[in-house]
This record gives sequence, C-alpha cells and structure tokens, in this order.
Amino acid sequence: MRSHERTARRYAKALYDVAREAGATDAVGQEMEQVAAVCAGDAGAHDVLTRPWIKPADRRGVAVAIAQKIGARKLVQDFVGLVAERGRADHLPEIVGAYRTLVDAELGRTRAQVRTAVALTDGEKRQLSGKLEHALGKRVILEEQVDAALLGGFVAQVGSLIFDGSLDGQLARMRQRLARG
Amino acid sequence: MIRVLAIAALLVGMVPSAARAAEGGGGLINLDKSIAIQAINFLLLLLILGKLLYRPLLAKMEERTQAIRKSLDEAQAARAEAQRERAEHAAKLETAYAEAQAIRATALKEAAEEQRRLVEGARAEAGRLVESARNEMAQEVTRARQELRREVVDLAITAAERLIRKSLREEDHRRIVQDAIGRVDKVN
Repeated sequence: MRSHERTARRYAKALYDVAREAGATDAVGQEMEQVAAVCAGDAGAHDVLTRPWIKPADRRGVAVAIAQKIGARKLVQDFVGLVAERGRADHLPEIVGAYRTLVDAELGRTRAQVRTAVALTDGEKRQLSGKLEHALGKRVILEEQVDAALLGGFVAQVGSLIFDGSLDGQLARMRQRLARG
Repeated sequence: MIRVLAIAALLVGMVPSAARAAEGGGGLINLDKSIAIQAINFLLLLLILGKLLYRPLLAKMEERTQAIRKSLDEAQAARAEAQRERAEHAAKLETAYAEAQAIRATALKEAAEEQRRLVEGARAEAGRLVESARNEMAQEVTRARQELRREVVDLAITAAERLIRKSLREEDHRRIVQDAIGRVDKVN
C-alpha cells in the first residue's frame, strides 16, 4: 500500500508540475476527478484498464477515449493514457488524491470530509465552510457524504481535526458520562 | 622354736622323777647313761624335725597368711573401687537427671514459644484473608455496580436512539445542523 501511494505521488507530482506550467492546476484536477469517477463507476472500462494481458496500446486508447468523452483537455488525455499504458490505472484514485493535495497546498485551501445524516442545504454548506475557514484560517472545501446510519447532525474532519456535531456523538458522550457516574 | 625347746626342757626336768620311779622298781625310764643318749637323740630329732618339717610348715603358713592378707587387701580395694564407682554412677545419674530436667524445661519453653508464634501467625493470616476477602468483595460489588450502570445506560441510550430516530423530522434535522454549525466556533 505504501509503494502504491509513493507511486501515485510521483505521477501526481509530474502532472502537477506540467499543469502548473500551463496555469491550469485546478481545472486539471477537476477533470482528473471526473475521469477517475468514470473509471471507478464503469466496471467494463475499469477491467480493460487494469488487466495486464490487454495490450498497453489498447489500454491507452480506452483511457484517452474516456478522457475525450468527458471533454478533458489534451494534457489530461495524455496523462491518463500514459497511466493506463504503464498499467497504473488502478492507481488513479490515489493519483487524484495526491494531486488534489498538491493543488490545495498551492492554493492555500484544505478539504473537510463532512458526514451528514441528511444532505446539507447550500446555505448550511456556506455557513459550515465559513465557520471552518474562520476556525482554521484557510479556505475549506466541503466533501459531503450522506450517511443514513447517522442519527442527526454531521461529523466534519479536516486532516486530524474532527468536529463531531452529530446526535450520535452527543449520545456517545452522554453514555460515557453516565457510565462513569 | 622356743616353745619346742621349752617342751624339751620340761621333758628333761621330768627325767629325775622318772629315774626315781625306776629305782623304786617298775618305772618307765631307766636312769642310766642311755638317758643322755636318749636326750641327745631327742634333741637331734627335734633339730631335724625343726629343720625338715617345722620351718616349711611355718613358711607355708606365712605364705598362706600373706595370700589371705593380699586377698583381704584386694577385696577391700575392690570394695572401695565399687563404692567409688557407685558414687560416680550416682553422680552421673544425678547429672543426667538434671540435664534431662533442663532439656525438658527448654523443650517445654520452646514448645510454648512455638505454639504462641503459630497462634499469632495463624491470627495474622486469618486477618489478612479476611481483609483480602473484604477487598475482593468490595471490588466485586464495585464491578457489578459499574456493569449494571453500563447496562442500564446502554439500554437507556439505545431506547433514546430509537425514539429519536422515529421522531426526527426534517425541521429537527435542520435545527440540529444549525446548532452544530453554531458550535464549530468552539473547535479552537
């Protein structure tokens, strides 16, 4: 897993360097996320891209076709083609994550994974990101995930910092307090 | 020897009376020259007998006297030795008896001390056991209370979760989210 991440960071750094020269780090990141989402969502495409017995040229062709289909720029097409050709298509999610980290660091922003019981409204998202930005001193991008198992409220995580605003958390704290007596 | 000579002299003294009896006719001894020869013979006989019989007899008697005296002395020595040994044995017996008494007294004292020590040890051990049992019991009670409290809390919280999940409506979710957003300021 470690080598997996190291490899992904190397690819992400290379893409980031080229995208920065082109002045499109953020846009490239968004397109990469779309490509990764398509590859992960389409089992057929995923199989073709990750099977080692399929010719590298064929894998490259499929990857480039996917990128073209979502309207990605030439840089992204070439990059995903290269990744697929070298048999690293299964690294795409990690590459996207590492690239996002690099771009976030460049733009002075961070990402908050927010697990909610019900989907947040736009106003709530703005309020929450505003509060988090105020607390952390940097721009915050919310990555929302609706979790039906959550009783109510939300749990936001930024790096190692966790803010538990859920009813589950309150009940858990109450359980601990009552159990201690 | 003196007595023999005295007897011989008595016999010689009797010779004149015997001779006179012979003159009167019909005596035992004739008083003539033969009387001297008989006296000489008698003396010679006395001398020989004294040499050959009386002296060995005296020597034998003296030897026996010495043997008896020696035996008496030895008997006396043996009796003294026996008395001494008896006294010695009595003294040893007395000493042994005293030692036995001392050993007995020491053993009794040590036994009493050992008994006291054992009783004290047993009391202390019993005290420790009682204390340990009390502590264990107290810990068990505490554990049982905590376990019971945990179970009660689990039941109550689980029931509360079910109730909340059933009763939560959209506006409740919105209010909870708003409350949580309001508390984000307190993160730092």
